[in-house]
Amino acid sequence: MDMLILIGAIVVVIVVAFLLIFWGYYNRIIRLENRIDNSWAQIDVQLKRRADLIPNLMETVKGYMQHEREVLENVTRARSALMNAKTPQENIEADNMLTGALKSLFAVAEGYPDLKANQNFLQLQDELTHTEDKISYARQHFNDSVLGFNNIIETFPGYWFARRMNKKTKDMLQIPEAAREVPKVKF
Amino acid sequence: MPKQLLIEDHIKRNKRLTLVICALMALLFIGVIFAFGYIYFGNIYIALLFGLPIALAYVAVTYSFSVNTVLSAAKARPANPSNREEKLLIYKVEEMSIAAGLPMPKVYVQDSDNINAFATGKKPEKAVICATTGALRKLKTDELEGVIAHEMSHIKNHDILIATVTIGVVGAIALISEILFYSLFWGGAGRGRKSEGNAILLVIAILFVILAPIFSRLTYLAISRKREYLADSNGAYLSRNPEGLAKALEKIKNDIPKGKPKGSKTVAPLYIANPFKSQSVNSIWSTHPPIDIRIQRLRSM
Repeated sequence: MDMLILIGAIVVVIVVAFLLIFWGYYNRIIRLENRIDNSWAQIDVQLKRRADLIPNLMETVKGYMQHEREVLENVTRARSALMNAKTPQENIEADNMLTGALKSLFAVAEGYPDLKANQNFLQLQDELTHTEDKISYARQHFNDSVLGFNNIIETFPGYWFARRMNKKTKDMLQIPEAAREVPKVKF
Repeated sequence: MPKQLLIEDHIKRNKRLTLVICALMALLFIGVIFAFGYIYFGNIYIALLFGLPIALAYVAVTYSFSVNTVLSAAKARPANPSNREEKLLIYKVEEMSIAAGLPMPKVYVQDSDNINAFATGKKPEKAVICATTGALRKLKTDELEGVIAHEMSHIKNHDILIATVTIGVVGAIALISEILFYSLFWGGAGRGRKSEGNAILLVIAILFVILAPIFSRLTYLAISRKREYLADSNGAYLSRNPEGLAKALEKIKNDIPKGKPKGSKTVAPLYIANPFKSQSVNSIWSTHPPIDIRIQRLRSM
């Protein structure tokens, strides 16, 4: 009789311990997954912000740079690609295009002293560079979040719980080499 | 990506070391309370009754006064977005908070020619980052970014909490030791003791309690230095650019401070580099690791 109680107690302890561990892992996996969604939302906010700044920039630049039609068109085209992008990867590609187009616009602007003295232009340039940096850090945080999630569902014992929760590893965003460089635009 | 793995290894090692040192601190503290009880009552558990409340009250008081004390001691003011340098600081703080996945901290500026910065705040949601005007003027964008990343890591690692709690424990140990010292001096000790105690053990216990403040202070400083290394490597992970902070530290090292540093010495551990002491001395009494070794470690990442 005593033996039975002992065995029963041991079984109960093991079951409770298992449930507690499962509870911990369940919450952790869900939390890490939500963090990925949240960090994507953060990227999205910054991309929108950037697209919103472009018309102002075009308005300011137009008067000074009539002869640089190609540069201006590239920026406009990249912006509309960004506005029409649906999937995350499309978004990121359009954003890379925009980064390149803006880079050449700012490089060309170096040759226009009047434009460079324009306070409005300077402010927009600061803000666009800042938004660009924010996007790249938001992407980095997204990838860090994905890494955290993948690590937990690929290692033991998280692996075992993740299988039962039907969770699969997620893809990181590919960050192009050029985007990691310190922007060359001079202040 | 072997580079990033190395940074992560640094982070892991520093976290483990802090844990070990914090455990040491806790052991020291419990040891003091037990020894105190042994000396006074011949019973090691009885002192827990009032030893713990004293310590907790001490920690709570230090903690609740921390943020405002720090900001007013540094004579810091909120950053002004219409000034271009300060706006760039706000931008950098925002970028680093995104990289760390933390809410945006409040940004403050301290008018001082020296290059320095600190972070404070009771929790990551209500943090403050402050940089000196000297830092804004003398550091390039990537260097400032390195400094901000370092401060952001202090916030993310709850270092402000660790610092205030350990300072509280150090204070509590000092208080207990002082009580014992004075009561021994006035011959009050052992009043309630039964005479069966071991004399040698008693002497050891007394020595331990008297020396404990020194040990706890040293332990606290060791924790402070470990957290600096951790914030350096975490910061490098956030900005993905260890060289930025390395260059900033180099500038701090070569910068000759003009005038007296502002603020109180208790705040010194919060700064990126101790504003009150020369940086190259390697001593168990310093709040920060020697700047050369920090630069060397950053460059090895």
